[in-house]
Amino acid sequence: MQPNVVSLISIGRHPQSGRARRAEQDGRGVELGLKLAGEKLSVLHVGNPEEPVLRQYAGMGLPAMTVLKQDETADAVPALSDYLQQEKIDIVLTGVRSESGESSGMVPYLLAEKLGWPVVARVADIVSIKDGVAEVLLALPRGQRRSVTVKLPFIASVDNAAAPARQSAFGPGQRVRMESVNTHGEVDQIRVDWQEAPAKPRPKRLKTVKAKTAADRFKAATAKPQGGSGKVMKNESAAEKAKAIFDLLIEENVIR
Amino acid sequence: MVIDWLPSILIVVLLALGVIGALRRISLWRAGQPEKVNLIAGLMAMPGRYLNDLHHVVERDKYMSRTHVATAGGFVLSMVLVIAVYVFHVEQKIVTWLLLGALVLMLCGAFFVFKRRLNPPSRLSKGPWMRLPKSLITFALTFIVLTLPVAGVLPEGFGGVLLTLILSVGVIVGLGELLFGMGWGGPMKHAFAGALHLAFHRRPERFGGGRSTGLKPAQLGGESHGVAKPSDFKWNQLLGFDACVQCGKCEAMCPAFAAGQPLNPKKLIQDMVVGLAGGTDAKYAGSPHPVRKTGKEPGKEVGHAKGGANNIITAGLIEADTLWSCTTCRACVEECPMMIEHVDAIVDMRRFLTMEKGDTPNKGSEVLENIIATDNPNGYAPSSRTNWSADQNLPVMKEKKQADVLFWVSDGAFDMRSQRILRSFVKLMKAANVDVAILGDEERDSGDLARRLGDDATFQSLAKRNLATLSQYSFKKIVTTDPHAYHCLRNEYADFDTEGALKGVEVLHHTTFLNQLVQAGALKLDTFKGGKVTYHDPCYLGRYNGEYDAPRDLLRSLGIEVAEMERSRFRSRCCGGGGGAPITDIPGERRIADMRMEDVTATGAELVAVGCQQCTAMLEGVVEPRPEVKDIAEILAGQLIEEVH
Amino acid sequence: MSDIIRRDPRREWIARNRLHPLHDSVANAVQGEVRGPSGLLRKNPHQVGFIGPNGLKRIDRLKGNAVVGVGNKRSAANQEAVLPLHKVDNPDFYIVVVPDMVGGRLSGHDKDILGLAHTMVSTIEGNGAVVAVCFGESKETHYDLAGVDRLIHLSASEYEGFAPEARLTALTHIEAQLAPKHWLFPDSIHGGSDLGSRLAARLGERPAAQAWQVSGEQTVCRGGGGSLDISRQTPRILMLLEECGEAIDETRHEALAIEVDGISVSEPALQDKGLMDVDPSAIPLAEAEFILSAGNGIHNWDQFHKVATVLGATEGASRVAVDDGFMPRFRQVGATGTWVTARVYLAVGISGAIQHMQGIGQCDKVVAINTDAGCDMVKRAALSVIGDSEDILAELMLLAQARKKGSQEEQSDAA
Ligand SMILES: Cc1cc2nc3c(=O)[nH]c(=O)nc-3n(C[C@H](O)[C@H](O)[C@H](O)COP(=O)(O)OP(=O)(O)OC[C@H]3O[C@@H](n4cnc5c(N)ncnc54)[C@H](O)[C@@H]3O)c2cc1C
Ligand code: SF4
Ligand code: SF4
Repeated sequence: MQPNVVSLISIGRHPQSGRARRAEQDGRGVELGLKLAGEKLSVLHVGNPEEPVLRQYAGMGLPAMTVLKQDETADAVPALSDYLQQEKIDIVLTGVRSESGESSGMVPYLLAEKLGWPVVARVADIVSIKDGVAEVLLALPRGQRRSVTVKLPFIASVDNAAAPARQSAFGPGQRVRMESVNTHGEVDQIRVDWQEAPAKPRPKRLKTVKAKTAADRFKAATAKPQGGSGKVMKNESAAEKAKAIFDLLIEENVIR
Repeated sequence: MVIDWLPSILIVVLLALGVIGALRRISLWRAGQPEKVNLIAGLMAMPGRYLNDLHHVVERDKYMSRTHVATAGGFVLSMVLVIAVYVFHVEQKIVTWLLLGALVLMLCGAFFVFKRRLNPPSRLSKGPWMRLPKSLITFALTFIVLTLPVAGVLPEGFGGVLLTLILSVGVIVGLGELLFGMGWGGPMKHAFAGALHLAFHRRPERFGGGRSTGLKPAQLGGESHGVAKPSDFKWNQLLGFDACVQCGKCEAMCPAFAAGQPLNPKKLIQDMVVGLAGGTDAKYAGSPHPVRKTGKEPGKEVGHAKGGANNIITAGLIEADTLWSCTTCRACVEECPMMIEHVDAIVDMRRFLTMEKGDTPNKGSEVLENIIATDNPNGYAPSSRTNWSADQNLPVMKEKKQADVLFWVSDGAFDMRSQRILRSFVKLMKAANVDVAILGDEERDSGDLARRLGDDATFQSLAKRNLATLSQYSFKKIVTTDPHAYHCLRNEYADFDTEGALKGVEVLHHTTFLNQLVQAGALKLDTFKGGKVTYHDPCYLGRYNGEYDAPRDLLRSLGIEVAEMERSRFRSRCCGGGGGAPITDIPGERRIADMRMEDVTATGAELVAVGCQQCTAMLEGVVEPRPEVKDIAEILAGQLIEEVH
Repeated sequence: MSDIIRRDPRREWIARNRLHPLHDSVANAVQGEVRGPSGLLRKNPHQVGFIGPNGLKRIDRLKGNAVVGVGNKRSAANQEAVLPLHKVDNPDFYIVVVPDMVGGRLSGHDKDILGLAHTMVSTIEGNGAVVAVCFGESKETHYDLAGVDRLIHLSASEYEGFAPEARLTALTHIEAQLAPKHWLFPDSIHGGSDLGSRLAARLGERPAAQAWQVSGEQTVCRGGGGSLDISRQTPRILMLLEECGEAIDETRHEALAIEVDGISVSEPALQDKGLMDVDPSAIPLAEAEFILSAGNGIHNWDQFHKVATVLGATEGASRVAVDDGFMPRFRQVGATGTWVTARVYLAVGISGAIQHMQGIGQCDKVVAINTDAGCDMVKRAALSVIGDSEDILAELMLLAQARKKGSQEEQSDAA
């Protein structure tokens, strides 16, 4: 049985240029959707059907996509849950966090709450679907994975560890069938009061030395600063050199 | 007399069969897409093109050019006379003697063809092509013997029935090859298709010493992009493929082939012929696309490629990797005596893979995505494009609005190595007091890479946006250190320049421009005292734009006598950096750059001068020890005598 | 044992009451220090000095050091560890922190958030207590030093491992019981942001995610994929970035247990099937945290692979190593290979060509083993050792094997 899968897509933002683009995680969501449902995958966007970035998603080989037409300032969740309730759906795929707007990552949770479905966060892969139960791999840091099973229907947010989105091709992107549905979203009132500014760089926390004595303070002030150019060992014995490397590996906690 | 009518009948029958075959062949070409060609003018120009342009190429191999003149000239003449004598019975002495003369000429030619084929180099195809000289000799001998009585040298009826039969067989063999084979796909097809190909060539500008290297824009929108099936080529491209003589000159020059990547340009053209005619490549008797010995997936062996005019090319006819191995260096095109356009065909097919299938290998998709999102292939912040020149005090067009020279910086702006070239060039321009400005953050990638990777949509978008920026400012010259950008600006942007942003603007490579400055005495240069120096011609400067001399002149102005590599100028071997090849990175047995570095080392040079940041990167990617690599701008800047004010 | 101050209220009371029959003996006993209820050091002015032989009071300028009884003397180091106790009686409100407890211990991230919770408490009117909610088996022994005033430890098996739904149920109970002013979660991949988002959705709260500058009033959080700072009123539920606050280090806290009863956890929809066994060599290069990378300077490939196995490192390679057929293509690091993010990148016999360096731009610590001290990799590296790769790898292997053996013995000892 091929499951009914919906991938939700949003407008991403390139971290360097700030330009609109296919969002990294949503792209992976579409990729995973294509793996599970092939051509039958439904792709859903809330917003402006004229947005050119949608064609970048379509370029992954989507024959059609549905756009719930809505103003940009409106909340996407009510429109989405209304729409999803009408359809017979097994799996909804989203990104973990959007690349634009609030980026709170709440969409999958709010949808799950409204629909009363379970939500699985940070999915690296959906391995199998059998008898209405899916086996899902969750992404943990540094390539680790956890296996979880969940009954259909459910919502999954797709992690960066999932298979990357396939290349977007120009031709299919131009030919996609856009089905736009009118919805009337309400303006997100809470957000109106927020102030937004370009992100300030966060300085990395320095190791503050809480000196208890004058001697400690003196030591802290005169100690060679960390970083700068690296240490070079030339004339030591091979064993000493190896030990220095080994100590660094232990200090960095990469060998256990 | 018995033999009086037999040859005539045979000639007429074979001629008719040949014509039928030719018509069939024409119908195969017509499966291609329409392309406007001036038929009459083309046909009129054809003999001239053959005698001038084609011969100019063949002339590089004196042996072959003479052989071909003798054989082809002898054949054409004798064929006309054979028809006159045997079909229309014009039996004047002079005509028959003329015929004899033509036949002897042809016989000599065919003999030399035969001799070359005794121990053929590997680039030549075998199979039917080994038979051709024998058939030619048979034809010539047969008709000589036939004609001797007509000419009155031998008595009529000489030799009796036996000889008549033998001669009839000779007529069948000879004419079968020459007339029947011409129309039905034998080796002699090249004469017929080749002649028409010259007449209806897609780049008529190339004849008469001209140059036409810019790719043709892809039609955007519609049901498909690029060439998926042989019938998606223009009809005259198909005709061009049919003109191939399988001489393998392209194969011998192709850097990808030499590196053991799965591309043999000759085989590629023959694959296209298989595609347009339908069938398999079982009859192909030349070198295959190289098969990587260490790779897991074995490449296709000859005989397994299948195609048809309406079958997807990459599904069975050729592997996509074959197309992605090409560096678009144009060495094959430059070398091809039939003036076949390999690069056009390859990029056309890449367009389908990228714009329809979304299947650009390796880093290709990432690079294209970056170009779309940031206007540079590595995804750097567009706002950091001018960081390199923070200490250079270069005026920006946005403020200056006009300048004599617009310095097109290119994506080298983001790369630390290339920045050294840029700085050197700026130093030289300052020393020469050039009124120069840059576009700064308004500049975008030229689109070269996107275009060669088959993404013409992105190329066109970049070209249009760059042109829109350029049109706001006034300048007389654009100078760039990047031959790829140079080629785009000079040869490819014109198709999109509706505003006339580049009208009357001279686009120059920095070596050309620097040479002008040096000739004008604007730069004071010290003589170079280092060791031996050689020069590597970048494909996009040399073959694409014909600039071979300015870099050499510049080096000479430093007192450097260039130790030329065996492959230099129009035969220069690519560094492996063009056409997105480093990005698609199709594995081979060796690296193209390593081979080029061997060429360099063979000259004993300690320094190789280049005129391209991509070549610099590729050649410096060769593991040390190896000769030093420097852009000409760097060498010049090093010898600059700065005036103290 | 001895660094924990044990207070004796009776003794303190006698010391204060000069009329008490035992007052003198108590007051004269040399006490290390007396702390007030807030944990501050108190001095007894009556006890300063002593009565000299002629009946006059003498103040000892040696501050009693001369007569400090040997038995009661504490070393300076020990004194430092004894921090003042921060006590919250009858709190007016709670701020609940739900730490990740990676490996059963408070992580640095958790501690930062506990610290932040205290700064938030101090800006809010009233007497607030910081509550930590911990699930599953806990190995943490220093909740008190991390700033936990109250501790809810739910160790039942249904919360063990991956159990977001059971944990959510417990949190909703806590919500009902304590009505916390704020809920703080680490915004992390270890479950913090998941649980926080679940709770926010359940409670219908609009949380702040990726918050990094928080006061009782105002919160600044990252938005727009990290490109924006959104300033807003501090919401009830916050998911906080690392280094959002300063960990507690000057006070001790009570870490009093709070019981939460009557939680009934229903059958979860998500069934944990456990962690997958991921072989370090199978980890995608881009995700690996420790890469041992080989270049043209490796001549003993068997040794290289062995070292990688012993160190538990993921293998990488330069293009030359790949071209020469010693390493598979997918191991190539660099411009035309993989761009890696490893925390430690150990480059053996790699010269550091630009194209290779592009691939390791995001690596934290680069270590180079190379014969050429002048090569670019050495310039980039935090630690470089100059020497033959084979020798050094051999020594490294010995060290790693010795350590492995050591830890195995330790384990078998413990068993
Ligand atoms: C377009 C392009 C893309 C490229 N992409 C990549 C890429 O993605 N990744 C990549 O890695 N390269 C890439 N390269 C190749 C790159 O330029 C270098 O050629 C390559 O990285 C060099 O590999 P290496 O450092 O292993 O070899 P070398 O440069 O030969 O360096 C070997 C090093 O080993 C040291 N050494 C030798 N013997 C010993 C010993 N016994 N013990 C210790 N040290 C020793 C030497 O001192 C030297 O520093 C690319 C090149 C080009 C042109
Ligand atoms: S352009 Fe260069 S690489 Fe491509 S086929 Fe021709 S010779 Fe080979
Ligand atoms: S394509 Fe041109 S160069 Fe190559 S084999 Fe054919 S005729 Fe010769």
